[in-house]
Amino acid sequence: MPSVLNVDTLVAANGTDPVTLTKQSAAKIFERHNASHSLDSSFGVSSITDEGVGQTTVTYLNALSSATQIISGSAGNNDTNECVITTTAAVANTTTTHYYAVADSGGSYRDRAVNATLVHGDLA
Amino acid sequence: MASILKVDELRGIASAGDITITSEGGAATQSLQQGLIKAWRKYTCVTTTANTDSFNFSSITDNGTGDTSHNFSTAMGNATYTIMHNTQYATFSGYTNTGTLTTAAFRTGVFNSSVAAVDVEHNFVHIAGDLA
Repeated sequence: MPSVLNVDTLVAANGTDPVTLTKQSAAKIFERHNASHSLDSSFGVSSITDEGVGQTTVTYLNALSSATQIISGSAGNNDTNECVITTTAAVANTTTTHYYAVADSGGSYRDRAVNATLVHGDLA
Repeated sequence: MASILKVDELRGIASAGDITITSEGGAATQSLQQGLIKAWRKYTCVTTTANTDSFNFSSITDNGTGDTSHNFSTAMGNATYTIMHNTQYATFSGYTNTGTLTTAAFRTGVFNSSVAAVDVEHNFVHIAGDLA
């Protein structure tokens, strides 16, 4: 019979540190928002800010330990004019925020029906 | 010496699907379940559309050039989950036909710089959100 452990909180043996299972590998933040910059769903997100057409700043609920977070993203619409997501050197990421833009193949910023980013890294 | 707990399944006490973990720096806590990737897949569209490797995906459907439907093994809890879709050099990609995005499946498209649909060898998907 499989063993089942019922527990509410997992920490390392010293009572404070994260256990190997969750350390670094779990996603820390994700968000999905629509063309009106309203959140559809999120995790670890305090708020998002509309920075203009296709541009968004995501503010985290809990700070990361450094501003070297790994960000991936995707966006799309009901038509076939798909977009890419880029970060930009003009707006630096911080331990509590990341900025990104959704652009079409011509480099024009676009508000899309579905815009999403996912963040990995260490929390403070 | 590091302690090792051997167990096949973890459940929360107050709620089976809610276990809290401590951040790396010790300054915060967050849900273990919500931070886990719920599905991932690598697939190819060259010659035939086929799954290369995956987790929590069942079938894959070729809808046409660069146009693919992905079906989950275990459904998501809602249709607002987060999809990351990436492809190889010189292409870009994302959701298509968002009206077909459901708790059981979604659809993606891959295009070249001229916005023409293309089939490419390397396609990557990550899904974050709540499982049913």
